[in-house]
Amino acid sequence: MAQRPATERLRRLLIILPWLMERGEVSVDEVAERFSVGVDDLIRDLELVSMCGLPPYVDEMIDVFIDEGMIFVGIPRLFTRPLRLSEVEAFELLAAGRAAMQLPGADLDGALARGLGKIAMGLGEDDTGLLVVAPTPVIVQELSEVIKNRQRIEVRYQSSKDVAPTDRLLEPFVVFSSQGNWYTHAHDVSAAGLRTFRIDRIESLTVIGQAENEAPDSMPEPGIWFADAEIERVTLRVAPRGRWIYERYPVDEVSSPDADGWVEVRLAVTSRQWLERLLLRLGDAVEVVDPSSMRVARSEAADRVLSRYSVKD
Amino acid sequence: MADRVERLTNLLALLLETRRPLTLHEIASELESQYPDAGQARRAAFERDKAALREIGVEISTETFGGDRAGEMGYRIERSSFELPDLGLTDAEVRALQVALAATRPDSAIGEEALLKLGGVGGGVGGPIRMHLPELPALPILRSAVAQRHPVTFRYSGNVRKVEPWGLLLRDGFWYVVGFDQDRGARRTFRVDRCEGEVAVDSAIVFEPPADGDVGAALPTNPLLLGDEVAAEREAVVHIAARRAWLVEREIGSERILVRHDDGSITTGLPFTNEDALRSWVLGFLDDAELLEPVDVRDRLIEWLRAAV
Repeated sequence: MAQRPATERLRRLLIILPWLMERGEVSVDEVAERFSVGVDDLIRDLELVSMCGLPPYVDEMIDVFIDEGMIFVGIPRLFTRPLRLSEVEAFELLAAGRAAMQLPGADLDGALARGLGKIAMGLGEDDTGLLVVAPTPVIVQELSEVIKNRQRIEVRYQSSKDVAPTDRLLEPFVVFSSQGNWYTHAHDVSAAGLRTFRIDRIESLTVIGQAENEAPDSMPEPGIWFADAEIERVTLRVAPRGRWIYERYPVDEVSSPDADGWVEVRLAVTSRQWLERLLLRLGDAVEVVDPSSMRVARSEAADRVLSRYSVKD
Repeated sequence: MADRVERLTNLLALLLETRRPLTLHEIASELESQYPDAGQARRAAFERDKAALREIGVEISTETFGGDRAGEMGYRIERSSFELPDLGLTDAEVRALQVALAATRPDSAIGEEALLKLGGVGGGVGGPIRMHLPELPALPILRSAVAQRHPVTFRYSGNVRKVEPWGLLLRDGFWYVVGFDQDRGARRTFRVDRCEGEVAVDSAIVFEPPADGDVGAALPTNPLLLGDEVAAEREAVVHIAARRAWLVEREIGSERILVRHDDGSITTGLPFTNEDALRSWVLGFLDDAELLEPVDVRDRLIEWLRAAV
């Protein structure tokens, strides 16, 4: 197996050593697992640093030795504290913390807020500099109760392709917000599979019993439900002022811009109605390239909407 | 040749322990035979080590000597810039951070490393409610600049903007930087994902934040009131078909409903400043919505539709 880069090994060591020094005596297996390193790599690197030293070599710089699967630490001298948090690590913690504070029911005991305050203070800052605004619909709270209690619900749901809402039996297992919208991943009993539903399209919700299906181990990445090859794709040509399309929606690909900044975008279209809305809203900032059968979608939709205004020409 | 980790560890130890900056010559003689003898090869090896240490977050400070050693460079590592201070985090606080990461940034290697430094562990399972955080390379740089009140420079819509950043705001799935645009002499809000190229930080300058720099107020909650142009607020009257009425009522609130019709449809009154946003919102309902007033905006919407036929 190829040896891991020296920087990666050293970075890990600088996290492991202070932790070891605080404890004095730990099993090799525990350390390997906690810090996600192989046992052999761990032993070799610890033995290596225990050999490190500077003249006149009167005492050991890093007093560590390994015997029968146990790591023993002598007198801590160097590397007793982990490396300070990098800019990127600080952002990661603070942003995650500030975002999590917005979730309903988060941080009831205040531990997260205190932790974030201490980190900011440790960075010499009085504030995290971050503000997360994520209004949560009431139904998110209701769904989280449903998930905690492992219940089956009936919802009245307006999908983007149906003309009117339909009733569905769901066993939700997570509620999440992504790109400003709230969704739930649920086992759809009638479809016998996992589906994702937009929360703002749930008209009503009734608990009807206990869930029967196990929650999956991992949650799909956002946008993964659009990766389904079954969903029809369209290719659009989009002007710069229509770029929110590909900033907002998951797309398969975006071409590099032409001289005027127009790009070609291929994306999943869950329904004709969805595409019509997009085309009408963007006006001449978008053109359908492919499939050609969709090129009339805009004019047909415009015609239909115009008849609403009783000014059909 | 000795393992590189050994030389890097020794170099770290030496530069942390020294009481005064050391020259490269002194460093090489302390780390007996670990650096090449030849001047150029030695310098190259040392520069590579410096870069490797920087990569893991260790800055070697450099100073130029005066006096009889004028021009020579000295190196050391400040312990205060190397070590994480004791933050006094309790186990419960570290666990809360772990849960927060699991709920918002699962599988983040950076987050896991940060937790390990704090004495926690990565992984873990988020609760039933989660939020995905968009990731952008400029965000950590901008956050530090906000917290340390340094001006930043970046390209935006083809122009260079010099901004005193007051805060970073995540809303509707997008990160915004809110601050004082120095060239325009006014508060501006920028989408971070639209900042082009690198964000440069002027760490020599510390700006004074305004007393009323309320970052949250920088973006109105109603998208119909968003926009660069400052237009007078007007009211739009929109009729919504019965089958969409519940969706709209949930979105805008019951107090904005002017009339509830017998067929279940509703007439709503919506404040707006941004005509484009209003048109976009109305057209999002296709033939389930009709803009009734203002008449001039309605006429332009009809023109828009005619152009699309």
